[in-house]
Amino acid sequence: MNEHILVTGMGIITGLGYGKEATWNALLSKRSGIGKMKYLQTVHADYPVSEVKMSDAEMRDFLGIPAGKIITRTPLLGIMALKEAIKEAQLEEKRPRRIVFINGTTVGGMEKSEQYYPEFINTEAYIAAHDCGTSCEAIAETFDGFDMITTISTACSSAANAIILGANLIKTGRVDAAVVGGTECLSKFHLNGFSTLMILDKEPCKPFDANRVGLTLGEGAAYLVLEKEQDAKNRGVQPICKLSGYANTCDAFHQTASSPDGQGAYLAMRDALDDANLKPEDIDYINAHGTGTQNNDVSEGTAIMRVFNDKIPPVSSTKSFTGHTTSAAGSVESVISILALQHDFIPANLNFNTPMPELSFTPVKDNVTKKLHHVLTNSFGFGGNDSACIFSKIE
Amino acid sequence: MNIYIQAATQISAQEPIGNAWFHRPLRFTERYVRSIDPDFKEYINPMEARRMGKILKRALATSLHVVRKTGIDQPDAIITGTGLGCIENTEKFLTAMVRDNEMYLQPTYFMQSTHNTISSQIALHLKCNKYNTTYAQRGISFESSLLDAYMQFELGKIKSALVAGHDEMTPDYFVLLDKINYWKKGEVNEAVLHKSDSVGSFAGEASACFMLGNKKTDFSICELKGVDLLFNPTPQRIKEAIEEMLAKHNLQIKEIDAVMTGINGDKDNDAVYHQLQRQLFPETPMAWYKHLFGESFTACGLGMFTAATAIQEQLLPADYLFNRDVKLKGIKHILLYNHFQNKDHSLILLSSC
Repeated sequence: MNEHILVTGMGIITGLGYGKEATWNALLSKRSGIGKMKYLQTVHADYPVSEVKMSDAEMRDFLGIPAGKIITRTPLLGIMALKEAIKEAQLEEKRPRRIVFINGTTVGGMEKSEQYYPEFINTEAYIAAHDCGTSCEAIAETFDGFDMITTISTACSSAANAIILGANLIKTGRVDAAVVGGTECLSKFHLNGFSTLMILDKEPCKPFDANRVGLTLGEGAAYLVLEKEQDAKNRGVQPICKLSGYANTCDAFHQTASSPDGQGAYLAMRDALDDANLKPEDIDYINAHGTGTQNNDVSEGTAIMRVFNDKIPPVSSTKSFTGHTTSAAGSVESVISILALQHDFIPANLNFNTPMPELSFTPVKDNVTKKLHHVLTNSFGFGGNDSACIFSKIE
Repeated sequence: MNIYIQAATQISAQEPIGNAWFHRPLRFTERYVRSIDPDFKEYINPMEARRMGKILKRALATSLHVVRKTGIDQPDAIITGTGLGCIENTEKFLTAMVRDNEMYLQPTYFMQSTHNTISSQIALHLKCNKYNTTYAQRGISFESSLLDAYMQFELGKIKSALVAGHDEMTPDYFVLLDKINYWKKGEVNEAVLHKSDSVGSFAGEASACFMLGNKKTDFSICELKGVDLLFNPTPQRIKEAIEEMLAKHNLQIKEIDAVMTGINGDKDNDAVYHQLQRQLFPETPMAWYKHLFGESFTACGLGMFTAATAIQEQLLPADYLFNRDVKLKGIKHILLYNHFQNKDHSLILLSSC
């Protein structure tokens, strides 16, 4: 059953723009998507965020969604990203037999629920749109070809776990292709939640900096199309890279904090390497979870030191570009990692100045050109839901 | 590869934890039935329990029950399905946020509002660092969890898995869903549900928890032979999926003792089952369970608990049979078929072991 799982399509929308090209250009020119809040209506508008620079109405227009149709921002972002992924993998023209769609989300339709709660007067239609599964259905129904769908909700590692489930569905032969990832819009609910936990920075986040204060929220969606090597060949689709390993573990330390030694993160990276049959020194770049909170960066950094010892590959957190896209982060950062792999280029970790005394390494401060073979990306969530994925060049 | 249900428990509208009610289930006439909670002190220390919402207490109690029963305190996977997650905490945070215009909020309810709070609290309690995840796909959240576990057994990644479905129904959410016709407007009773000539069902809550393993033991309840999920399937596609699942185990449709359906009294919901019955299983007895538990996103977990109990006892009382008043004996194979709004469909096959 150890056939290669390939990535044959990707789609992305974040504060950096819509599509892989816009994302890549922003990374290349070190142009962050973080800025002043424009679309989310909240009293906490002084927090910087990385918003997708399109209103719901603009996305609806772009996608040609009929005026009467109830749809919230989370699925709108999802549909945008899905469209790009489907196009690249040519799922319309060269249909695989059975395709699954796995979506990661936590906020779901919350962004409308919070506007109309508690009465939902004259807005009953949004009641049904509140739960996570509705978002998944709304996205899935824009492509007439999904045989199976489901939603993963493990907070900020949701999209990474969607990738893992998709790969398992392919390996067991249940489906021929998997469209996997996550989507999440900004909501007052989680902005306030993170704010009460006092882990939001009033300035753009500074991952792995000694003076980091907290995270910057972002929004977005990203999906990957996965399939077996043979299926991609049969369909005549050009593969992008290989998903060579993955792992999901649990920190089992605290509901919202990570353990000081990063046990969950350590196990996730170690097991993903095992799964990929790679050694730590094979990894050429780590796209870190790197939220910019005191707790995450020391915990994750310690875990990286434990896995890689004195041979720590270049590390960067691209949340300094996209903000923390929460449930979408796993797939957003997978797409970024794969873009890095494709271009032999390591994106910078913005806003870094002062090394953390606890860590033996510092993040990549400036763009680096380097031959990349294997990249590892981390996604950690509340509740210690830690996952890691490794993508490799097809060589 | 074989997968066994090594232990199972539930908290629902029926008597909690065990299955003594199986032979004499309670009947309901209310539109909203909440679960009967066990004495949580047996599982969670009261200090800790005080900080937990209902759904978390139920999840921990049922998990610890199957852990104690099997002695497996480090399952290779902890997987929860929940349609709404910790909705009580979500509501508390949301209400305070709206009421006080985003000021003076406390983090506690937010911290325990995410869907994955359940799986992660179980892991925290067991100090279990292994695979841990959560599904939230409306009416097939539980079955999604089961499928994940099933595949990992298939791939040889795990030897045991704690799989559960949990949903609570808060008074506020009951009212919201009432506005969009989830619940019947008048009195609910078995005859009304059976007749199924109006929209809506009645509201229930569900906690159903299973320890799965790959080795048959003296206490194994039954075998989990198949799980499948389908999205917007045609009747032909459902037929294909059922036949594929049966063929994998050399089973014929006529060997299935009963099809356990998600009939809940809502006319549109039930029509789907009746149509399938006519097309695929004209001879097979049709069973139901939601009339004894109420509808909830993870009610199917209770359906699986009921089906597993029937196989263990080799008996399906008439209480669960849709158009028969004579109990079925010698139960060996039950196919569970569930759908949500005719979009998300699921199949589960259980067999005696």
